[in-house]
Amino acid sequence: MQFEVIARCPTTKARVSRMTLAHGVTMLPTFMPVATQAAIKGLTPEQVESLGVTLILNNTYHLNLRPGLKVLNEVGGAHKFQGWERNLLTDSGGFQLVSLSKFTTITEEGALFASPFTGEPTMLTVRLVVDAPPSTLIAPEPKPEESISIQHAIGADIIMQLDDVVSSLTTGPRVGEAMERSVRWLDRCIAYHEKSGKKERQNLFAIVQGGLDPGLRDRCLDAMIERRDNVAGYAIGGLSGGEEKDTFWRVIKQCADKLPDDSELSVDEYITDCYSNNLQGRDIQWESDSQKIYLSAWPLELIWYGPALLVFIEATDSYLNHIPKADCVFPTRTARFGVALTHGGPLNLKLNKHARDFNPIDVNCPCPTCSGKTSRAILHHTITQETSAAHAITLHNITFQAQVMGRARAAIVAGTFPDYLRTFFAEYFGGAGYPEWCVNALRSVGVDLLEGKDIKMIPGSGAKWEYSDTS
Amino acid sequence: MSSLPPVPSLSFSLFTPPTTRFGPRLGTIRFKRPEGAEIQIQTPGFLTSASRGVVPHLSRDHYAESSIRWVNLPFESFLDVPPPVPTLVPGKNPLHSFLGYSLGQHVVSMSARDPADGREMPANGNTHVSTYSLRGVRKITPADWRSYVLSCKPDIVFALSDIPFTNPPYSQKRLTKSIERSASWLANILSPPTHTSTYALSEGEYKPNILIHMAGAASVPARRAFASSLVEKLLGPEADAIKPLETLDQGVFGYTFDLVPIRLSLEAAEKQHQDPFYSPVESLPQTPPSAADANSNSNSTSTPSSEVNLDPVIPAHTDQLTPLLHASLEPLPVEKMRLVNTVQTPHEVLRLISTVGIDIFDAHWAQRAADIGVALDFTFPAPSSSSSSSISSTATKTRDNGKHDIGHNLYSDSYTHDFSSFSATPCECRACTPIAPSTRIYHGIDDPSYSNEEPAASSVREKPSFTRAYIHHLLHTHEMSAHSLLVMHNLGVLDTFFASIRRIIQRDMEAQIKGSEVEGGEWEEEVRRFEEYYDESLVVFEEARVMWRDVDLARGRGRLKREKKRQEEGTLGTAVEL
Ligand SMILES: [Zn+2]
Ligand SMILES: [Zn+2]
Repeated sequence: MQFEVIARCPTTKARVSRMTLAHGVTMLPTFMPVATQAAIKGLTPEQVESLGVTLILNNTYHLNLRPGLKVLNEVGGAHKFQGWERNLLTDSGGFQLVSLSKFTTITEEGALFASPFTGEPTMLTVRLVVDAPPSTLIAPEPKPEESISIQHAIGADIIMQLDDVVSSLTTGPRVGEAMERSVRWLDRCIAYHEKSGKKERQNLFAIVQGGLDPGLRDRCLDAMIERRDNVAGYAIGGLSGGEEKDTFWRVIKQCADKLPDDSELSVDEYITDCYSNNLQGRDIQWESDSQKIYLSAWPLELIWYGPALLVFIEATDSYLNHIPKADCVFPTRTARFGVALTHGGPLNLKLNKHARDFNPIDVNCPCPTCSGKTSRAILHHTITQETSAAHAITLHNITFQAQVMGRARAAIVAGTFPDYLRTFFAEYFGGAGYPEWCVNALRSVGVDLLEGKDIKMIPGSGAKWEYSDTS
Repeated sequence: MSSLPPVPSLSFSLFTPPTTRFGPRLGTIRFKRPEGAEIQIQTPGFLTSASRGVVPHLSRDHYAESSIRWVNLPFESFLDVPPPVPTLVPGKNPLHSFLGYSLGQHVVSMSARDPADGREMPANGNTHVSTYSLRGVRKITPADWRSYVLSCKPDIVFALSDIPFTNPPYSQKRLTKSIERSASWLANILSPPTHTSTYALSEGEYKPNILIHMAGAASVPARRAFASSLVEKLLGPEADAIKPLETLDQGVFGYTFDLVPIRLSLEAAEKQHQDPFYSPVESLPQTPPSAADANSNSNSTSTPSSEVNLDPVIPAHTDQLTPLLHASLEPLPVEKMRLVNTVQTPHEVLRLISTVGIDIFDAHWAQRAADIGVALDFTFPAPSSSSSSSISSTATKTRDNGKHDIGHNLYSDSYTHDFSSFSATPCECRACTPIAPSTRIYHGIDDPSYSNEEPAASSVREKPSFTRAYIHHLLHTHEMSAHSLLVMHNLGVLDTFFASIRRIIQRDMEAQIKGSEVEGGEWEEEVRRFEEYYDESLVVFEEARVMWRDVDLARGRGRLKREKKRQEEGTLGTAVEL
């Protein structure tokens, strides 16, 4: 991996960088759509690439279940399997330890998994235990080595260490234990990766743990920074378990401030707090996502997950209560419910007010849906009925997110990033008021969103959602 | 004054004057727009079926890259909320602009009903057809239809017909009514604009090209009577209404046959013949939900069971179709276009070309195959038994009767490790021949001057085909991309199929001209071989359907509650969960 910082915002220290991996260049910060099962909902890889996406995420847990390692080895990795020629990132699968924690026992040798399926092998185990009765522990396994080995088979350009994830709401000795174990597991992942011969094409990232405890975070940071020569970048994990948003951003800031900010180190960091996945029964990812926009104000390279948008777009509790809690994959999932993202706020195309509106979602949007003049009316007519409506909105939403990122990069290069943040909030939230925690987070890096404006602050998540016809 | 015609012109011409009334024929449909674009459709050929105005599972950017030339829009799905939204679209080509079809590439037609929908419906009336919308049954009168057509300006329109979907078989009285209504409704749409009409303005520029459904259900005399009525010279007020036309047929571009209602009638007649106590109602697919049901259900539009019933397997009765179609066509001019909706198999396509001389077939069956995870893989002519493709490991399954499947049920675990492309023979579709994007969107500080990457090559670069193993994976993980790729492929296979059909017919015609034709011709021989080689019972479709349901159920059972709820939240398209 080659990593070069090419511009920096003097106020916030946010930076623009060029990351070169085996499958091309990704300019950072970027937005990374989620292709959990090796497909971006309903689209072809050619469509995704033409939107200007240069990095997507596959989930290790899921690909290990299906299609499985044998298939991936036979075909020569996930790139070939799904026809994706640009960069790819995989998680370690560790997050599923949390999501499935009621089935899971963590030991030093790995985790014991109960299959959420009946008669299916579980994640991170290559052993198939077919006869196990449901809801019993069927497979002792995942060693850190095994997670890396699976990620080697997948062949992603960026891979993650296996970390011991506890919910961020966990307190007591378990948090420290998980942090210490994550450091020990990092060493095992490094050792395994070093001798694998895969180092040239695949880049291992460390994941900073330590829960919400600044002391533990600090110790973890120290330990992981010590290993900087053996990792290609850092991720920040163990967040987004339902903690206060103000707590969340403070932890991120602590990590961001301390992680090496030195381009010579070829270090990249990204936020990995939100392994938004199918099998979890919670909505935690949404809240964490909603923080990410602000994080770009810190000296971090953010590779945003799909759901990150939401934040921007601010998902919010009312939204979450409005649609079923779900695996997130934000832009694609919301697309299926008819939500199109715009710089002026989200549009719920299911609302009757769009039924006779022949305007596109956003006249200025370069996506195929808008530039092809697909009207809100036809989307309203087909949404929740025809998959193609979801495809059209997904094409738009991914493009929208890429535009938000691209404009952020341009603003950083131009030295106008604080203005960009203020403009984005003004357009997006308008008079509806700004989430208080956003204002606080950005103040901590020297940007006052409220400067010269008379805008109210909304405590909590600061919902802005078009969810009824009366709005 | 420009030399261009002021209105689009549509023509159909046969390659050579037909020597017989019924039999294989080659033709060309030419559609020329005032703007200059001309679309040509070679026949025999196919049309693609739309659902709610869109081709299921395809993005608009895929329309241009797929084998779509003619799209038919069942209009009833726009009737949920009056007035139908396409009628409000401004401009000269409202359907193209609203639905994203290309003026230079796509002919768009409009029918009141979805020809594939065989559900029982409330009776039609003297002045209305009962149609189905998501919010319940909606009536369309001939005047409504005329006004929708004049507002939407489709390139081609199916005249409103009285096709009963009550309880077949139908009495002679019912059939007589059907014939009379269909003829009078045809007259309605053929009648020239009146200046009192609110549509007078648009009528000055737009004149619909009309297809007429051949009424008469499963009755030879009724069908003959209807066809004859089209060519009768009208008299009195009826004649005045359609002036300057003298007969209804003069205003008609071509003839269509919806096979679903004919098959339902044949099936009912057969059952009744076997069992005098047989109740025809039970044999019919489910009645659509009432308006109230549909409303209470508006967020979760359908349950799996209603979807299943939307797509019943109706016994084909292919052999009984031919005399019925003949009865309709016999009184009519031979040179007009003939179209069949809801054909079920490629075998049936071949037979209807052979025995009737059909020019256009709908692609519904192939599109439906994509819904249930079937990748079509057949060739015409069929592989010779000695050829390598019939024994290759990538060939379709051979059944107990010794016949081969016409496609692959990609749900089957036998494809888990199958990295071949969908069909054994080369296919030009975007699933089998993906093209690397030659352009991309830049969003800021990511163009080549910053990334130092070479801009995408402007030359076309083909990528490796998508594999059966990948689609197998996507089907089992409920990824919608599976269906997008399968639709592109299945339409591609159809395109190749029809091109081969035309080639063989042409060879026979040329041989005939040269006097070198063999007995029966190459065509007949190849049709016979095709029927011998490929399984027409479509066991592979049945297996796919079963596995599709099982995967769906397993998902409901094995997943967390939230997943189930999500499943209930709504489905998209005919078969595919959102
Ligand atoms: Zn757009
Ligand atoms: Zn193909």
